[in-house]
Amino acid sequence: MAQQRALPQSKETLLQSYNKRLKDDIKSIMDNFTEIIKTAKIEDETQVSRATQGEQDNYEMHVRAANIVRAGESLMKLVSDLKQFLILNDFPSVNEAIDQRNQQLRALQEECDRKLITLRDEISIDLYELEEEYYSSRYK
Amino acid sequence: MATYSLANERLRALEDIEREIGAILQNAGTVILELSKEKTNERLLDRQAAAFTASVLHVEAELSAQIRYLTQVATGQPHEGSSYSSRKDCQMALKRVDYARLKLSDVARTCEQMLEN
Repeated sequence: MAQQRALPQSKETLLQSYNKRLKDDIKSIMDNFTEIIKTAKIEDETQVSRATQGEQDNYEMHVRAANIVRAGESLMKLVSDLKQFLILNDFPSVNEAIDQRNQQLRALQEECDRKLITLRDEISIDLYELEEEYYSSRYK
Repeated sequence: MATYSLANERLRALEDIEREIGAILQNAGTVILELSKEKTNERLLDRQAAAFTASVLHVEAELSAQIRYLTQVATGQPHEGSSYSSRKDCQMALKRVDYARLKLSDVARTCEQMLEN
């Protein structure tokens, strides 16, 4: 059974605001697009002259298109905010990233130490022979 | 380089959503452009409109899922984990290797000088 975690007020408010922004932007895109399509329909009878109606429809379409673009940009900002929130607060991913990094570094350290120990063993054998040679020579 | 799969997957999903938002606006523009023509290609119009609607619903579903996931995992506390200790140990190991290399080069130089003499 999933436990309801008590989030601090600010975080809960923030996530609720994200939800609200998402709903508002999607609604704005859909509504404005639908209205543009409706406005594209040419009416036979208009209350004002055709030219005026045409100008009005033109202006309305411009405004609605701008609204769609604004809602799209707002959605992009929301995605950017979500990415930031995810990087800072998604603890399972952060924990996994830290664990992987630790494993990498520990493996590198162990390899370095292993190679140094091998090197030490080889050099101590050579050094033994060199010392034998040196101390049995006339140069000691 | 190890892949930070879990974190990258979610971030990649969000990047795909960004691309899809761009595609939504493009589809909307194509539909309106097609409507403005004298002779509209109805099949293209239907296809683009259907793609627009599907993309919008998909983006909404994906972003809702991401927000729901964040509601479940966010604790409100700052993350205090770090990889500093293993980084320091690794750094010291590399320093040991450098020191060993330095000493070996000194020995090699001494031996060469002796041989020249």
